[in-house]
Amino acid sequence: MATANLAARRRTVNNVMTGVLWAAALSIIVLLAFFVGYILYLGAPVISWHFLTAPPSELAAGGGIGPEIFNSFYILILTLIFTTPIATAGGIYLQEYARPGIFTSAVQFCAESLATIPSIVMGLFGLLVFVTLLHWHFTALGGALTLTILNLPALMRVTQEALQTVPSTFREGSMALGATKWQTIRRVVLPSAIAPLTTGIVLIAGRIFGETAALIFTAGVSVSAGRSAYDFGLFHQAETLSVHLWYVHSEGLVPDAAQVGNGSALVLLVMVLIFNIGARLLGYALHKRLTGK
Amino acid sequence: MTTTTEIKMCVEDLNVYYGSFHAIKDASLQVPENGVMALIGPSGCGKSTFIRALNRMHDLVPDVTVQGRVTLDGEDIYAKDVDPVTIRHRIGMVFQRPNPFPKSIFENVAYGPRIHGVRSRKRLLEIAERSLRHAALWDEVKDRLDKSALELSGGQQQRLCIARVLAVEPEVILMDEPASALDPIATSKIEDLIGDLKKDYTVVIVTHSMQQAARISDNTAFFLMGELIEIGPTRDIFFKPQDKRTEDYITGRYG
Repeated sequence: MATANLAARRRTVNNVMTGVLWAAALSIIVLLAFFVGYILYLGAPVISWHFLTAPPSELAAGGGIGPEIFNSFYILILTLIFTTPIATAGGIYLQEYARPGIFTSAVQFCAESLATIPSIVMGLFGLLVFVTLLHWHFTALGGALTLTILNLPALMRVTQEALQTVPSTFREGSMALGATKWQTIRRVVLPSAIAPLTTGIVLIAGRIFGETAALIFTAGVSVSAGRSAYDFGLFHQAETLSVHLWYVHSEGLVPDAAQVGNGSALVLLVMVLIFNIGARLLGYALHKRLTGK
Repeated sequence: MTTTTEIKMCVEDLNVYYGSFHAIKDASLQVPENGVMALIGPSGCGKSTFIRALNRMHDLVPDVTVQGRVTLDGEDIYAKDVDPVTIRHRIGMVFQRPNPFPKSIFENVAYGPRIHGVRSRKRLLEIAERSLRHAALWDEVKDRLDKSALELSGGQQQRLCIARVLAVEPEVILMDEPASALDPIATSKIEDLIGDLKKDYTVVIVTHSMQQAARISDNTAFFLMGELIEIGPTRDIFFKPQDKRTEDYITGRYG
């Protein structure tokens, strides 16, 4: 009898737990769907060709977000140009060369500490260094450099994890043919890691695209007045889309601030979703191409 | 015709430690040129550790200490001024599990010559064909050289790995249980190939199969718990072992 009861109880607990875990997983989908739906509902009516391309307005209603969208991409690309070489090189060093020791521990410790610094603190650091100390004022370059520091550790981690997916037998096979370490990394390890590496970089690009706090005090909250909407000036103010969203809601004077905010939020969300989905598709395509079908 | 064989590699008092674990204890042996030497013994006896010391593969792993002398044509491969990269060029290695690179069949074989400076596509194709023929794989892959090596069967992959080693023209080929992950037909192809290779190369092979050692090797070394117990012509090791422990292993009294 006792064992029959026990079996029934174990079965019940098992079923209940399966349900609980399933519900937890489901809640993530529901949350995202609700979130996207709500922003879509509020933002969709605002979207128009004019809204997506026109410059913002300071006082009158009817401003657009054209330069902001451009600046978001511009700062993203600048940041990636600075971050990717340093982060991949650092990640390669840590994963392929570093032997346990004081230097390796120090690099790991610094990267982890850097990763935990809140982005607003990084923004204030950027304000101190690029805006005040170097007298650049609010600039696209200052913003991009601040984001570089902010994202270096994460990208380095991504590189390390991508390299970890390469079986050590590939390295051994190459070294056993008389290849040097660098030849092995360059010709075998990196090509084998390219899929997870690309996926990781695109995911981080999505994060950079949406970053706000670190840019408010470094790239500024307005676009260069009187210049073309598509301004490549490294030393010009460069308000991004996410900063604009924050700005119109908290300090904007335009009467249609709420609508501009809703429209900006929708565009931002769609862009970040594109980055995430794009990362998966790209990773899948690269993986398929490299391993043959 | 005299039967004096040249000594290709010579190991003297080799000791290998993993951290504080003493994996190989004072092993000494000589590898004659152009023959097959088999290293046998139960799992964990140190035969793989031993063979990896012969082309300095332990250099790649932290926490492994190698002591003693290993010479190739009389030259100490662990000497300070010796570059392990040139040693591995002269002493190739085939691993237990086939490990082709995730590249095309051609790129796998061309990899070695490329890293050693061969640029001409025509020359690379010649080397690839010669190596694949030598590894008895050419007829099976000649029409699909640009297909991924990962599409090949396990046995084909292992012969590709052998072709990849042949392409850099080493003097010695080390094989660490090259057939243990393969089916009997693929295994017999690898064994035929080894018999063919010993005309031009010195082969050292680790095997857990005594039948395999008996079929393909000229000399056999028996390892037990990190010690080299006995070494001699394969026939002697199998039919008149000198050491009681060798006899026990040969007759199946050890795992």
